[in-house]
Amino acid sequence: MELQIEKPERGVRAFISKLGRGRDSAQRKFIFATVSPMVLYMAFWTLFPLLWGLALAFFEYSARRSGGSFLGMGGDNPFIGLGHFQDMLNFAEDAPLPIRQFHLSIKTTLLFAFLILPLNLALTLPLAVLIESIHERVKGLFRTIFFLAVLAPSVGVAIMWGYIYHPQRGLLNAVRTLIGGKLVATNWTGDQSLVVLGIPVALIAVIIAYIWQDLGYNLVIFIAALQGIPESIKDAAKIDGANWWDMFWRITIPLLLPTILLASILTMISSFQVFDIIQVMTEGGPNDQTRVLVIDIYNNAFRFQRMGWASAVSVVLFLMVFSISLIQSRLLRTEWEY
Amino acid sequence: MNRFRILSLISILIVAGLILSACAPSVEPTQAPAEEAAPVEEAAPAGEKVTVRVWTHQNDAFNEGLENLAKAYMTENPNVTINFETFDYDTYIQTLQTALPAGTEADILQMFGSWVCSYAEGGNLAEVPSDVLGLDEAEAQIFAAQLAGYVCDDKLYGLPQEFNIEYGAALVNTQIAADAGLANITDGWASWDDFIADAKQLAEVQDGVMLRAGYNFTASDAIPATFYSLILQNGGQYLTDGGFSVNTPEGMKALELMKKFVDEGLVDPVLFNDEENWVGDSFFEETSAIGLVGPWVVPEYAGDFEDVAAVTEYVTLPSLSADPVFVASSGWGLAVSTNSKAQDAAWDFVKFAALNPDNAVQWNIASGTLPALKANATGAAGEKLVAEFPYFEPFLNILEYGQNEGMFPDRDLVWYEITYPRIINFLQGNATAEETLETIEREVNESF
Repeated sequence: MELQIEKPERGVRAFISKLGRGRDSAQRKFIFATVSPMVLYMAFWTLFPLLWGLALAFFEYSARRSGGSFLGMGGDNPFIGLGHFQDMLNFAEDAPLPIRQFHLSIKTTLLFAFLILPLNLALTLPLAVLIESIHERVKGLFRTIFFLAVLAPSVGVAIMWGYIYHPQRGLLNAVRTLIGGKLVATNWTGDQSLVVLGIPVALIAVIIAYIWQDLGYNLVIFIAALQGIPESIKDAAKIDGANWWDMFWRITIPLLLPTILLASILTMISSFQVFDIIQVMTEGGPNDQTRVLVIDIYNNAFRFQRMGWASAVSVVLFLMVFSISLIQSRLLRTEWEY
Repeated sequence: MNRFRILSLISILIVAGLILSACAPSVEPTQAPAEEAAPVEEAAPAGEKVTVRVWTHQNDAFNEGLENLAKAYMTENPNVTINFETFDYDTYIQTLQTALPAGTEADILQMFGSWVCSYAEGGNLAEVPSDVLGLDEAEAQIFAAQLAGYVCDDKLYGLPQEFNIEYGAALVNTQIAADAGLANITDGWASWDDFIADAKQLAEVQDGVMLRAGYNFTASDAIPATFYSLILQNGGQYLTDGGFSVNTPEGMKALELMKKFVDEGLVDPVLFNDEENWVGDSFFEETSAIGLVGPWVVPEYAGDFEDVAAVTEYVTLPSLSADPVFVASSGWGLAVSTNSKAQDAAWDFVKFAALNPDNAVQWNIASGTLPALKANATGAAGEKLVAEFPYFEPFLNILEYGQNEGMFPDRDLVWYEITYPRIINFLQGNATAEETLETIEREVNESF
């Protein structure tokens, strides 16, 4: 008898046949019927706007001008190819205002994101270990307290911190006045001359508000991860003479690396996309010191109707977030299993 | 029909429902309410039933006035139905941007004058028919400062309903002034030196910290209005056929006077600006004794700050020129979309609301705004306005001296992204006057 060797299926046919493998016809039809609406919905409301936004980046587009017949592109909204991206490379001191604001926004966004990440991790990780070490009955209470800030609307958080930072009526200046015995009215979010180590104080003020709100999110993730570390490993470490610092640095941190990677990526992505807290607290001021990329995109797209330029900036933001996420996942990749 | 087809059909209907519900605008459609109104009767295009949609931004006072007029119009023209849809301010701007290219906008669009030409140039707005109002008639009937925003390439694209003013007279808290020994402050000031002397007395400082500004003019509307008005009063022009120019002796004098206000201790621009202690909030919270902001602010705050509103008056600011010229933006008005299928009825209502003096003043009273029609600034209509809003009087006396801010490609960019931040930066001591003038001139010219 000849040996029959089946050629492996490849391509779309292989994909489709894999979908049905192990399922009967009725099940396959059910899956198709129930998944299709969401796929269509996502395609229309996510994929299409994404592609349209990408296309706009190659046009000098403003909604105020009547363009061509297809989605207003063309006509008075001409195709300019890589024109916007070429303009972004204009680093002259007298470059047009939108370009200088774009460069400033990139710098501020990177500063914001790279300050948020280490501060966030430095606060949440030890805090998670601390909360995890206390009695079971109280653990839940602390977890809830810290997570409540995450649930609060960002606009409300920004308004609250605005009151804390208010120059004449704010809590912060009131405490300083009480301590100093002399009236103090520092404009924490509005005085552009206030700079610490080259970082505008207004940006620091926004960072504090942002971390205050965001703390609970990573905290809950880390607490869940800590609960996944087997007690046997901790017991073995104790038997070997590990103190609390050895336990934290040599046991907990390495075992939490996959979670730290996840938290880092999520924190970075959200800090690159920060908008509402800055828009309410400072609107990108004073003098553009807190102007991040999303504020720049918003102002260009909706205040000044430079939709094409705003789309190009959005593409740059996407590429930045994507690149940094890739780099992070490479650097923090681990093969731990326990 | 087998089960698979039924499931597919249900799925498609669900998706279609989701898409259609997401496409619906997030607006508050309202019918004109059952309010009393005594407008003047106007004839309407007779005959077939017509529905006219009107889009406005969410200002309760504005919309109440317009809806009253709509009700009266519909009573006289029963074949016409007018439906209002209102949007909060930011959403309104975005809605116009998306709806106009898509052709889904309303028949009548409430417009701020500075926006009109940018939409008209895009072919989105219909020209005012000559039988509604010709350009010559418009120039005779409407204040030039307000009409200018609605005229693009010598064609009229809408009708203003209000005179938008942010300079010329300032809010004064007469109680604070009286407590400081300035009981006659409402008599006004002969010169800026007299003004500075009074405002200095009204400022309150403790331990080097300004608790109350004597004259709060450091807001994002007040600073450009002050700067450009002072250039005019110094005999200059900032916008000519040759382009935009402020790096001039007149520009320098304007900046020097504004810096003098700061140096004399009238206001601390670090503590009082658009972001903190904004002039409207600050004045009614009594942390500013004199504030530069338009009269629209009084009805906005009077409800919550009755005591302060009761002692508030507007007092004319000193002028450097014989005629108190000042810069004004074209204010809110009504325009009609090119895509409107009911243009005749739409224009008829716009004419009814904005051109008929009695109806126009009725709207001004309801909305707390100054009149765009010259006829309503004097005579019986003027008296009616002053009776309703005593603080209008100083403004009514100077409306004729208003000069439109000029045609910028993007007025908001010039006002809020260039002029205000550069000048507040200068007033805070972070830039020189020369640098400030040079930067403003360069950045504004780049925008053309």
